[in-house]
Order: sequence, then structure tokens, then C-alpha cells
Amino acid sequence: MKGEKMIAGRPLARGWLRSNTTTIGPILAAVAIIAVFQVINPDFLSYNGLITLVYAMSYFLIAACGLTFVIMTGSFDFSVVSVLKLAALLSVLYVDRLGLWVVPLALLVSVGFGFINGLFVAKFKVPSFMATLGVSVVVEGIALYLSKGFLHVINNETFRALATTFIAGLPSIFYWAMGIWILSTFIALVTPFGRRIYAVGGNPISAGLSGINVAWYRIYVFMLSGLFAGLAGVLYMANWGGGSMELGADAAIPLFASVVAGGTALTGGVGGPHRTLLGVIIITWIQAGMFMLAVGRDIQVVTFGLIALVMSIATIDWRRITIIK
Amino acid sequence: MTTLARSRPITTAITQTLKTHPVILALIALFLLFSALYPERFLGPLNFSTILRQFVTLILFALGPSIVIVTGSLDLSYVGIYMLGSVLVWLLTPILGLVSIVVILHLEVATGFLIGVIQVKARIPSFILTLSLLVIYSGLTAYLAGGYPRSVKGYEFITATLIPNLPTAFLWSIPIIAAAVFIMKGTRIGTYLSAIGSNEEGARLAGINVDRYKILAFTLSGLFTGIGSIILFQHHGGSATVELNLNTMVWPLLAIVLGGTSLMGGSGGPQRTILGALTFTVVNRGLVLALLNPEAVQLLLGLLLIVSIVVSSRGLKGVTVT
Amino acid sequence: MATPMDCALLEVKGVSKTFDGVVRALDDVTISVHQNEIVGVVGENGAGKSTLMKILVGVYTPDKGELYCGGKQVPFPKNPKEAAIRGISTVYQEKGVIPLLRVYQFLLLGHEDKYVKFSRLQTDRMKKQAREILEELHVKCDVESYMYELPLSTQKMVEIVRAILSVRLAQGDDHMMSIIILDEPTAPLTIEERRELFGDLLEMKKNASFIFVSHIIPEVMEFTDRVHVLRDGKLVAQYDLSKEKITEKDLFRAIVGRESLETIYKAEDKRVVSEELVLTAKDLTKQGCYYDVSFDLHKGECLGIFGPAGSGKSEIIKTIAGLVSFEEGDLTVKGQKVKADELPHARLGKGIGYFSGETGKELFLNWPIAKNISLVNIEKIVRKPMPVISFDAEKKMTERVMAKLRIKAPSANTDCFSLSGGNKQKVSVGKWVERTPAILLLEDPTIGIDVGARADIYETILEMQKNGISMILVSDDPKEYSVLCDKIMYIKEGRMQRVFSPEEFGEVTKA
Repeated sequence: MKGEKMIAGRPLARGWLRSNTTTIGPILAAVAIIAVFQVINPDFLSYNGLITLVYAMSYFLIAACGLTFVIMTGSFDFSVVSVLKLAALLSVLYVDRLGLWVVPLALLVSVGFGFINGLFVAKFKVPSFMATLGVSVVVEGIALYLSKGFLHVINNETFRALATTFIAGLPSIFYWAMGIWILSTFIALVTPFGRRIYAVGGNPISAGLSGINVAWYRIYVFMLSGLFAGLAGVLYMANWGGGSMELGADAAIPLFASVVAGGTALTGGVGGPHRTLLGVIIITWIQAGMFMLAVGRDIQVVTFGLIALVMSIATIDWRRITIIK
Repeated sequence: MTTLARSRPITTAITQTLKTHPVILALIALFLLFSALYPERFLGPLNFSTILRQFVTLILFALGPSIVIVTGSLDLSYVGIYMLGSVLVWLLTPILGLVSIVVILHLEVATGFLIGVIQVKARIPSFILTLSLLVIYSGLTAYLAGGYPRSVKGYEFITATLIPNLPTAFLWSIPIIAAAVFIMKGTRIGTYLSAIGSNEEGARLAGINVDRYKILAFTLSGLFTGIGSIILFQHHGGSATVELNLNTMVWPLLAIVLGGTSLMGGSGGPQRTILGALTFTVVNRGLVLALLNPEAVQLLLGLLLIVSIVVSSRGLKGVTVT
Repeated sequence: MATPMDCALLEVKGVSKTFDGVVRALDDVTISVHQNEIVGVVGENGAGKSTLMKILVGVYTPDKGELYCGGKQVPFPKNPKEAAIRGISTVYQEKGVIPLLRVYQFLLLGHEDKYVKFSRLQTDRMKKQAREILEELHVKCDVESYMYELPLSTQKMVEIVRAILSVRLAQGDDHMMSIIILDEPTAPLTIEERRELFGDLLEMKKNASFIFVSHIIPEVMEFTDRVHVLRDGKLVAQYDLSKEKITEKDLFRAIVGRESLETIYKAEDKRVVSEELVLTAKDLTKQGCYYDVSFDLHKGECLGIFGPAGSGKSEIIKTIAGLVSFEEGDLTVKGQKVKADELPHARLGKGIGYFSGETGKELFLNWPIAKNISLVNIEKIVRKPMPVISFDAEKKMTERVMAKLRIKAPSANTDCFSLSGGNKQKVSVGKWVERTPAILLLEDPTIGIDVGARADIYETILEMQKNGISMILVSDDPKEYSVLCDKIMYIKEGRMQRVFSPEEFGEVTKA
């Protein structure tokens, strides 16, 4: 309709501002947080402080990268935390019998659940939130069934070495995380596969017309998410060596918050794993800072809920969606 | 379009109801199955009252969200509201006395209203909004409670036993359920919410103030959860919980889906959720009696959730789902 | 046809409306509606029909103009409720129906306050009222059915009844008149359903007047009493079909305007089309859309499928693209039979590309030009053997395309939403220039763009044809067919009528 013609200048200006906010914003936030905490506690940036941070950040980053891919296609994966727990549990339970073979086992199971998620969303057209919620309940059920509520401890040194070998002053889990992050960024920005993922999130019909098998790509991203969640779980367990998992259902929120805080929008088609690093840094460092200030876990939870909320609002692309349920 | 014979109205009414509510058949079948397998335990008075107890918990959590789901949105905040409300009662009872229980109500209505306003004005997908709120409230609860479950004395009269083996809470729940069903089926609110869920743009074109009714839906959800919380608070022994349990959050959703309310909105509602909650409870009890292993039960219920979600989504062909 | 009263029921005089101070949607337009009349308002997309209707219904306020109801001047309505009190109501083109409501609920939606007692809905009274009005207006359906259970034409009829009822209820006892605006009512209907709809509408003329907004010429010719033609916001013609003898061609020319019939590009010498068959359609059928469509497409050939809006041409081309599935018949591509329910990406794998001029849906607007062009050509810019995109190759590809099509933009990395309409369309075409599919489907390729951009696009398309790309074209502009096609198939109501050569076609669509 003629009334819809826009002067080229106006949307241009708005768009520039918008895209810059989501890029500059997280960077500013990260710098501000570091500064604030460093002032409060000079030990914050000390070696010990950083190591603690690194341990917290690493497995988190891995899982967040996987989740990022799913969100880029406009879907949501609620099962990431549950799959992570299951993978960790499988490692603990079977490392004595299988040694390092427990790793591919856990990864296979995780990818399997990712595939199931993808199937529900792509083939059965179940809204991704409900589908992954359902799968997460089943996964938790399996985990509960297998662990029977007992605490387990790992004795296998090789397995633990996966995460705790120190190279150049940093634990190996850090290198895993960086490796996955670099790999994810590479996939997203430089490969045709990644380009197609952006396309599916940006405009699914056009993507189909451009030769992309949209259904399969939705499945692929869920499988990636599952795979990374599984890897994160395995490394988490290798790091901590046992004990019950502290992660409850509310752990999905900080994970989600870090993806959105980095600038990947729920609407899909924008952002990416390179952004997620920033979001993870912000979230884990806030977490560490609050821990340092002896703020209870409860308030931490509240904070992340608020961050998730605020960042969701900030990143939604209003141009694209008119009806939000 | 209906070509049923008009000569036998009762039979046709029953057949029609069964067709549109297939879950009734499932319910009857399961009931018979478990009765046959475990006659003493299943049909005994203890089991009966347990079923009713579970039913009450489920339905009082599920009524509110089932109203919101009809509009096509999701409301996951109910557990959070309940938890925060309970903790506030614990905090305020020493100061305000028994009146504090009404505080829950105000909190929950206000929360519902707030959620509605944010959803409509800021346009965030409701699942993330209510999930975040759930998390925030659970955090606040733990903070206020100092990390431990707290119990409150003085409200026992709410659930004092009136009829043996019949939980009083169940009696309380009857008028609450009736009110919800009345609002959704007997007033135009239900029609409007259904319209919004079925075709939001069409509803707007028809002159319905969509924003206002969406906010109303969330506020009603808060209201019903609030009233339900008052009952449930004592039903659960008068203590405030601080643990966020995935199951507590998910089972009411399962009750809603089982009942036949569509996830995309436009149909169903509290009246269907009653059936869903009943079916869920029967299944749960039956499985517990059969397997006695809580983990296995949870697993099977999880599978049931997935299956019913898939079946419920089958009406969505041609829609691009993300 | 009923004799119009001396005094018009409704008249808008000299209405003008400008958006954002720049876009003049309406310029001094006057239309009138008389008692028991069906008045047509026709024009191309963007001509101003929709804006005018929205003004009548109270969604927009005009900058200038006067409104007369029954001869008396009244202020323009400020919202749909006020419009209903004046007697004006709209039935929307799409999204007007609420599928999960029952008929009586939908009919009375928004008016429940008249059927409420102590906030309890009196559903029996509602159903009774629903039955009464449906009977009065001769619409047969069960008030208890869900809207989605009704056939589409009945749904449309119920929408119309609802509009009439709204007006009656709004006016109450002062009920004077009902004017119902029908906005492209037949768009979602099948051919049979349209016949039914028009039959019912003619019956309803006794109870209300209608404004029929459309661009389907045959329907307008057959069912309206008078027609107003809008073009570029101005009223360019007005015909009284009961008095004047107008042909479809006359109406067509009024809508499209003499200017666009000028030759803007001279077709080259007749291209030599090869003997090789690339695509064969045999008896393709989809109930309600098209029947027994058969044609052959040779290498390098361009087939045009022409017909009025709603003839099925859009569905046919979308079927070949994979966006719509056919029910019966065979489709063979390069000798291989193709499955009916294949998805577009699979069709692309077989060599069939599709694009439409609706760039809003076609392009990734928040992506730069380079990414839009390279997405479908990803294989070409991959730095083998690694699965890595070569940004250098991507840039070169984009610059090539931009040069060839004369796309005016600061750089290959400019985001598409900031481009003008013509440039956006060029990007759409451009990606196919690189891809060189065996068969390219074009739907409305140059809709709404200026002459210069159009010429550039035509030039490129013709060159692609010379290079052996076969094409199928669907468009609303007959000139386009003459320029681009080797043969043109005329479709009416879903069935093939005859095949023209470009010269014959040019003759037929001229004066």
C-alpha cells in the first residue's frame, strides 16, 4: 500500500541505533561489572579469583553456545540443563566400568535427545518450549531413576584429567570451552551451515525457497544444543568429581539470560555464539561477584530472572513480529 | 453441520460430549483398569481421599493457567506466586494475624495484572516472561525464608475435617472451580478470550479490546492461583516451601493438556482441565500402586506429557512453529 | 437493477489523505452509494481503495473532504463504532473470521452487552437472534457449528451478516441504512464458492447496500451496479453499468492507465526456442483452484500464465515452486516425475527457482545485499575443500550482480531494508542471475516499481532467457507478458482457455 512506503532515511537511522545498542551494550555492561567488582574486592582479578571464574564459566559457555544455535532459529531449548545433568550422571555412573568410553556414550545420549527435540518441533509442529519442557521432564526422570538419589564419587584419574589438567596456568576445561566457542563462532559466521541457520531464523519461507531444508536444520540445531549440553555435563563432572548436582530447573534462566544478554534475540536470525561469550562473561561474573559479596543464591536467582526479562525486551525485533503470545 | 437425530436428546448429548472430550473415555478406562488390577487398594477409602487430595492440588494450580492458555499465551508463574505468597504469610502472621492470608490474594492478583501489562506493552513471549517471574519469585522466597521451609500455625480451620475421608480442601475447591467455569463459559469473557486465542487479529478487527482482555486473563490467572494458594497452603500442612520443583511446575500443565485444551489457544479452558486433572491423578495413583517406584512413575508421567503435547499439537498443520 | 434514489444514501466528496507529509494516498476522491446498490471500487494495489475504506470505517481521518449521509452533512466517524452508528461496516479480506467460535458467538461478538443479565450470557436468546437474522438474510447454517466447520463461502456470508447485524444494533431503533464494505471478499474462495457468494449477495441487496472493493474485473463487471475506478489516489473513471455499455478492456485500461501501455522496452528479435523439453505439466488439478492444467515448457522458453486475479494463475505457479501441492495430474521436470507434496528446497534441487516481487516476504531485509545474493549461491563461494565461505568471492559476486542490474546502493554490505523498492526487487532477481536455475518462476516480478528499474530487470531477464533459462511468468501487467514471454496461456476460473503468441496477445489487450 502506498502509505507503507518509508523514507529511506528514517528506518536507516533507527536501525543503526538499534544494531549498535545490542553490540555496544553488552561490552559496556561487561566492562562496568569488572570495574565495579574490582573496586569492591581487589582480589577479584587476582589469579585465584580468575581461576574460580574460569571454572564457573567454562562449562556454562559450552552449553550456552549450543543453546545459542537453537535461539538463532527462533526456537527455545528448555532441556539443556536436564541433558547436562544426565550426561554428568552417566559419566559418574559408568566411568568405572567404561573408562573414557563413557564420554562418547554421554554425548551420544545427549545428541539423541537433541534429535528427539528437533523431531517434535520440525515434524510434529510442537511449540519448542513445550516440546523441550516435556523432554526435560523425561530426562530428569531418567536421571532420577538411574541415580536413585545417591551421591557418587569419581575415582578415575584419567577422566578427571579431562577438565583439570593445567596448561599454561589454566585448567583444561578452559581450553575446551574456548575451543568450542571458537568452533561455534566459526560455524556460525563462516560456514554455509551457519549461514543457513541464520536464514531459517530470519525468514523460514525464504530459506526454503533458497534451497534450505528448513525442517532438517531445525533438527540440526537441537542436536547441536544437545551435544554441547552433554559435553558441558561431562566436563562439569570431570571438574567437580562427583556429588549431587546443584542445578535445579531454575538453572535454565541464567543460561538463557547469557545468550540474550550477548545480543542473540528470541525472534531469531540475529546474534550468534560470538556474542554469547560476552553474555556468559556478564552472567558468570555477576554470579561470582555476588558470591563474593555474600549475596545468597536466592537473590542471584532473582537477578538473573530480571536480566533475562530485561534483555529479552531489549533484543526483540519489533519489526518482525506483530502478534506475541 | 450436525446431523444427529433429535429424537433422543440425552443419548446424543452424551455421544457428543464423548466425541469432543475423548479424555473421558481414557479416564473411565483407566479407572476400570486400576480397579480391576488392584481392587482393595485402589477402591479403598484411603486411595479415594488421596486421589481427591492430589486432584485438589493440581486443579487449584491449573485453573489460572488454563484461562491464560485459552488466549494462546502461557502462564508458568503459579508455583512462584504460591511460594512467595506462603512466605509472606509466614512473615506477616505474627504482625497482622490471620488476616495475612488475604495478603496472598492481593499479591497474586497484582502479579497477574503486572504480568499482563508487561506482556501486552513490552511484547515479550509469555513463556519467557512468566518463567523469569517464576524464577524471580522463587529466589525472593528463598531469600525471605532464610533458606529453610517455614511453617505457620493458626490456619488449621481452613482444612479441618468435616466429612471423614473427604478432604475439606476439596469442598473449598468446588465453588472455586465453579466460578472459573462460570466466568469462561457463562460470560462473554470466555468468548472473548477464545476469540483472541483463535485469531487475535480477527478479534481486534471485530472491535474487541485485545490488550485489555489479555491483561484480564493474566489477572484472573493470578486471582485463581491466589485463592487456590490460600487453600493449598494449609492443605500442604501450613508450611512455605523454598524448593522449586520441576514437577510441581509441570504437572498442572499436563493436566491442562490432557484435558484437551489446545496449546495454541481458542478452545478448552477450566472445564476441560477438571477432566485432565482427574485423569492425571488417577493415572498417577494407579502407577504408584502398580510400580511403587517413584522414579519410574515420574518417567512414565513425563512420557505421557510428551505424548499428549504431540497429540494436542496435531491441530497445527500449516502453521510455522518455532 | 434497482433504480437509485435521487438522494444518495452515502456520499464522500473531495476526500484527500496524505501520509507522513509525503505519500498522497487519496487526492480529491468522490464516491457515492445509493439504496439497494452494489457499488464497485476498483483499482490496482496501492491505488487508494483500502485507505478510502478505512476512512469510511473510522480507522483513518481524512485531511480534506465531506461526508453526507442521506443528504445531510455529518462528521467523519472517528472509530468503527461511530461508523456503525452511521450505518457503515466492513467485512475484511482476511483474518476476519474467528475459527474456534461458534456461529452465534461470532455473529454477536462485541454485542454481548445486549444479551447479558447479571453478567450471565443468555445463550438461548443469542442463539435465537442468530437464527432469526440468518433466516432473514437467507444464509443456511447451524448456529451451533464452529466457524471452521462451515465452507469458506458460508463463512464469508456469516461475516456479512455480522456486519449488517452490527450496524442494526448500533443504530438501534433509528435504523436507517446499512452500507457494508466488502474488501476483496472473493480472494480466499474457490471458483464455485464465489458463484454462491454472489448469488447470496444479490439476494441481500434488498436489505443493504454494498461497496465492493476488488481488482477482479469479471466479477466487478457482472455484479456491481456502478463502478468507481481509482488510480494513484485519484478517481479516474466512473461507470454506471446499467446505463453504459462497458467492456472488460475499458475497465482494465482505466485501472492500469494509458501511460503504462507505452512501450518501455522494445522486444528483440524472436528468440529461437530449443526443442528440448524441461518441464511438462499434465492435467494438474487442485480442487477449488485449478483444473486439468497442461503445458510444455522448452529450454529457453518463457511461458506466461495470464488471467484475472483469482483465476488460479498464482496457485499454479506456486504449485510448480513447491509452495502449494497439487492433487491430481503429473508434473515432470527434465524427464523425471515430481512428487505432489515436495517442499520448495527439493524443487530447487531439481532446478526450479522461484521468486516473487513482494520483497517484504522474499528478502532477508536486515541482511546486507551480499548475503541475500549469496544465500542461494552458497556453493559457489565456498572455498573448497573446506566448508568455509570466501567473503572475497561473495563480495565479487555481489558487485557483479549490482553492476549488471544497476543496483544503486552504497556498497555490497548495505542492509536491504534501506533500499528503494526497485532496488530491492533487483536484489531478488540478482540472486537468480547468479544461480542460473534451469527453470525460473517469476511472480509479480516488477510490482509497484518505477519505469527505469523495470527496464533494467527486463533486460536481465531476457538475457537469462537467451542463455537457456526457461521461465514461467505470472503478473498483473499485460505489457510484461508481451515483453518477456514466448507464449501466453490464458486462464479463467482455473481452466486453460487458449494460448496466445506475444503479438496476438498484444492485440487482444490493446484497444
